Amino acid sequence: MLTINLFNGLVYGTLLIVMCSGLALIYGLRRVVNFAHGSLYMLGAYIGYSVAAHADFWVALFVAPAVMAAIGVVLDRYGFRLLQDRDPLTVVLVTFGLLLVIEDFVQTVWGKSNLSLATPDALNFAVNLFGTQVPAYRIGVIVVGAAVALGLSLWLRFSRYGLFVRAASTDPTTTSMQGVNTDALSAGVVGLGTALAGLAGVVSAPFMSLSPSMSADVIIDSFVVVVIGGLGSLAGAFIAAMVLGMVQAVGAVYLPDASVLLPFVLMVAILIWRPAGFAGSRT
Amino acid sequence: MTALLKVDRINAFYGAAHILHNLSLEVRAGERVALIGRNGVGKTTVVNTLLGLARLGEGQIRFRDSEIRKPRPYLAAQHSIVVVPQGRRIIANLTVEENLVLGAATGRKGPWTVPEIYKLFPILQERAHTPGTALSGGQQQMLAVGRALMANPSLILLDEPTEGLAPVIVDQLATIFNRVADQGTALLLIEQNMSLVVRVAHRYLAMAKGAVVASGEVNNSRDGLKDLEAHIMV
Repeated sequence: MLTINLFNGLVYGTLLIVMCSGLALIYGLRRVVNFAHGSLYMLGAYIGYSVAAHADFWVALFVAPAVMAAIGVVLDRYGFRLLQDRDPLTVVLVTFGLLLVIEDFVQTVWGKSNLSLATPDALNFAVNLFGTQVPAYRIGVIVVGAAVALGLSLWLRFSRYGLFVRAASTDPTTTSMQGVNTDALSAGVVGLGTALAGLAGVVSAPFMSLSPSMSADVIIDSFVVVVIGGLGSLAGAFIAAMVLGMVQAVGAVYLPDASVLLPFVLMVAILIWRPAGFAGSRT
Repeated sequence: MTALLKVDRINAFYGAAHILHNLSLEVRAGERVALIGRNGVGKTTVVNTLLGLARLGEGQIRFRDSEIRKPRPYLAAQHSIVVVPQGRRIIANLTVEENLVLGAATGRKGPWTVPEIYKLFPILQERAHTPGTALSGGQQQMLAVGRALMANPSLILLDEPTEGLAPVIVDQLATIFNRVADQGTALLLIEQNMSLVVRVAHRYLAMAKGAVVASGEVNNSRDGLKDLEAHIMV
């Protein structure tokens, strides 16, 4: 029982990594707390569902994030760029409004009923893990999450554009003064962040049913992760996602009645201990 | 000689505050120009206007042959004009070497590379992998100058580069500025330290109340120094 719950916690943690990477990147560069990120995840899942219905899951795995990346670029140009110097309340209201618009759009196009996406045949089998049978697909989810975490870390650490992103997340004006077009850079990063939300949506679709309320469940946990990790910190978000996934998994076994509260208890405890989160700076 | 920077009767604003009034200046290839004036006359606003950080009203800005209608911070660097900003503005989460590499963002090739910067400022090589903001004030200024050189620019705008630095560091920087200028890079030195101005600049523009009110050749003598100091006396 504990093994399978820990395994599921690991799966959920890696899904949160994919989801929160985008949230952390967007906040890091644009200083926009994007309440619509969960609905972008949902939209990615639904687009993936439709693409899979007409082609197959593997095509959806690439097409849905690509479509979401394009949406992200438009969102940055006509939304986040205009919001970046506004007061936080305006940002919250606009991104919350966007959340409602996307939810309504999803209901209009795909309806209110729950939908499900079949597990791809290539991963539709069980694997023995320490004497417990676990679905191979979920191992695939862990691989995707690990690849995203590793890929993003290496890109930020060693690539030229990764350097620009790290610099611009600290001082966009000085970075721009070196010749970096930070508006174009931000559009690219918001596109990437939105694509990752879409990727998380497609990846989660075969084991979480699709519904217009699916964004609410994951966005709350995502914000807990981003706050615990330290706003804008990718490394902090990775650690926090895994901690949250495990806390939920263990809580489901030993404190089933209080498991819903555990993420918030964890957040309060960590913020008392480290007010800026695991890796944030207190500014 | 080509005008690398030409500013023609610009007016600039911070919000409703009108800071620059029909200000004109020009820096040609290889020139060493000083922009001098008391605190608050608008020297830094000139830089900020070129970067789009102060609102440009009437007037024209040209980087080389291009008219810049809507200045943005990256446009100057993309036209081979870089700024060593007041306060240095070293990127805190990058190492010394990463700050230098960031300076080469435009990808323009030229004599200045990381090893060349290390030859110019050996202390930066010793501290290459420490955070840029962990350096002393003088070392941070060296890093800011090195970062600007990494762009292999035609013109460097130095905004109060010796502010708050010890005289020995100021001497080192003056030598470096002359060496850079000797290699053909034009300098626009915004300064209140007139002893530095007479050591580096060949021509000066004196500002008062948001406009250039006097200009001339820099006379590298005691009388010349006194003349320049008169422009910054309260």
